[in-house]
Amino acid sequence: MHNVFLIAKREYLERIRTKAFLLSTILIPLLMGGGLVISTLSAAKTKSASHVAIVSSNQTLAEDLKTELEDPKRSDMKVDVTAPTAETRAALDHNLAEKTLDGYLWIAPAANPADRPVFTYYGRSKADIATQGTIESALRTVLLREGLVHHGITSAEVEKLLQPVDIQSAGGSALTSFLSAYIMFFLMYFVVMLYGMNVARSIIEEKTSRVFEVLLSTITPDEILAGKIIGVGSVGLSQIILWLATAVILTSTSVLASFAGNGAHISLSMAQIVFFLIYFVLGFLLYSSIAAALGAMVNSEQELQQLNMFLVMPLAVCMFSLGVVITNPSGLISTVISLIPFCTPLIMYFRISLQMPPAWQIALSLVLMIATNYGILWVASRIYRVGILMYGKKPNLPEILRWLKYS
Amino acid sequence: MSIVKLENIRKAYDTKVAVEGLSLAIEPGTMFGLLGPKGSGKTSSIRMMIGITVPDSGSVELFGQPFSRAALKRVGYLPEERGLYKKMKVIEQLIFFGQLHGLDAATASKRAHRWCERMQILDAIEKKTEELSKGMQQKIQFIAALLHEPDLVIMDEPFSGLDPVNASLLMDTLLDLRKQGKAILFSTHRMDQVEKLCDAIAIIYKGKLVLEGTMREVKSRYPANRLLIHYTGDESFLQHRAIASAKTYTGTAELILSEPSQAQNILAEAIAHGTQITRFEVMEPTLEEIFIETVGENVDA
Repeated sequence: MHNVFLIAKREYLERIRTKAFLLSTILIPLLMGGGLVISTLSAAKTKSASHVAIVSSNQTLAEDLKTELEDPKRSDMKVDVTAPTAETRAALDHNLAEKTLDGYLWIAPAANPADRPVFTYYGRSKADIATQGTIESALRTVLLREGLVHHGITSAEVEKLLQPVDIQSAGGSALTSFLSAYIMFFLMYFVVMLYGMNVARSIIEEKTSRVFEVLLSTITPDEILAGKIIGVGSVGLSQIILWLATAVILTSTSVLASFAGNGAHISLSMAQIVFFLIYFVLGFLLYSSIAAALGAMVNSEQELQQLNMFLVMPLAVCMFSLGVVITNPSGLISTVISLIPFCTPLIMYFRISLQMPPAWQIALSLVLMIATNYGILWVASRIYRVGILMYGKKPNLPEILRWLKYS
Repeated sequence: MSIVKLENIRKAYDTKVAVEGLSLAIEPGTMFGLLGPKGSGKTSSIRMMIGITVPDSGSVELFGQPFSRAALKRVGYLPEERGLYKKMKVIEQLIFFGQLHGLDAATASKRAHRWCERMQILDAIEKKTEELSKGMQQKIQFIAALLHEPDLVIMDEPFSGLDPVNASLLMDTLLDLRKQGKAILFSTHRMDQVEKLCDAIAIIYKGKLVLEGTMREVKSRYPANRLLIHYTGDESFLQHRAIASAKTYTGTAELILSEPSQAQNILAEAIAHGTQITRFEVMEPTLEEIFIETVGENVDA
């Protein structure tokens, strides 16, 4: 046990002291948090703040539209209303060129009084979709209101009809909890992959530098492997705990809210945190054992790249099945996929984030994972034991099977 | 009690037999040379001594006991390929290896400093291993193998890649260790380098032991039948009937005698013919010559 601890400690310290660890620990949540803040900020700021002019001979329509557009709920626009004269267009075009105006809406009366007038928007920037969209919807509201009033409905009733609809989702906003489940899914994918590969890389490093020979002259291969997995896993765990702590601080206090307004609340439940840790440990153990076997089989990182698919494929399957799981987290397919040990850490965890599955399913997934881990570790340690002393050509399958028989 | 005792061990990798029927014993306080050309099974034999691999058949004893991993704490091993963590500082690395051998960190650190001073690399102690030259790395590896004061030191090709100054520093250290009563085994394919160093040798070739014994025994089996003569003038003494074979260069003759006792007669004959002799030396065969004689001529040693 002492030897396992020494190996684990060395692996842990070597990794945790690197700049890469520091950078990834700080940058990944910053990027994720930053992305979140930016998206909520930009969602808040898509309200158009343009300065536009409405040119219409129909003053009622123009004033109605102005009121609608300047409604702070709709936009932060500044609207001028003018009646068309001979010089209006030239003056407005001049203002556009001078950049004192962002655009103007020309309302020309229709030839037939029963038809709608013709609306033409002249914008300074063709890409200013937000402004044009705002004007369009405001215009529709105004015309609708006008039409309804015209048909004898009182304006109070019209206002009531035009109130926006608000759908309430029980248990917090569906969007934010989905977003947090999604982020956690990718975080899990990322750490399991990253630290699994880390184990393989560290084995290859010891193999190429032949440190193994020295290590093996005092301790057993199993002790080295155990130490390595524990050491690298602890690095991953430290990083995750740092991240989760940051996330909890950010979401429980108003730090994020003060940045981005109240829309940016990401809910992270205690269950999500606990299960993240459990499934990370089990998933890491599974994938790092596979990675260890792969690392012991090859001689260089390049050769490892070719075998990477054994790690990436199961994770990719999880990725593809995400769509099914999102639409029906408790369906049969989702349940089956989430019980496959290779997918459990990602998919079962995702289900837990979306909608707590029955306890027996979680328990079963844990039992299956532990059993699989045991089997994979058994195989991996045998491959590892022989593989680390094999240099030269990459072994083929019959050779690897023969390795398993060596005790 | 032998420090190491191998009894009829065999190891095969798939179809290739690396070691076959190897038996040898290393006594305390001896410098034991495991000799043989490259690929003859030296490293395979060493690996079985320290449990990195297990022999297919035969037995390994360390310190008079059947092999056990506990005994490995008393063994220091320097592998052929130097194995150090590139990103680790020298001192951390040495402490780590010391701890693996059962030392506590403080003792390991103290001894590491002392050894680095002795090996003249004290100023590199805070550097990362990858920043050091190959020779320095080799010294660190050497220290790592000795830090826990092992009773048995096993070194696989310790001199390869060392410059002469460092090689002799290493040899002196090994001699010192022997003086302290430790058993030292090292392997090398450069037989000329180690002749004066070894108390006992084993020569293996193609996985089999071809020669074993103390240096004196081995040499005594081969008579001093080499003759080196530097001369000028008449060459007719080279026709002497006791000369089995001769290599002659300008003014130098290297002779192998069929009857070692005839050396003086050859000298007398040369003088009688008026040949000027500037050097006359009767020599024992070198290990390399013994080796070649034992296994045949076509060896790429």
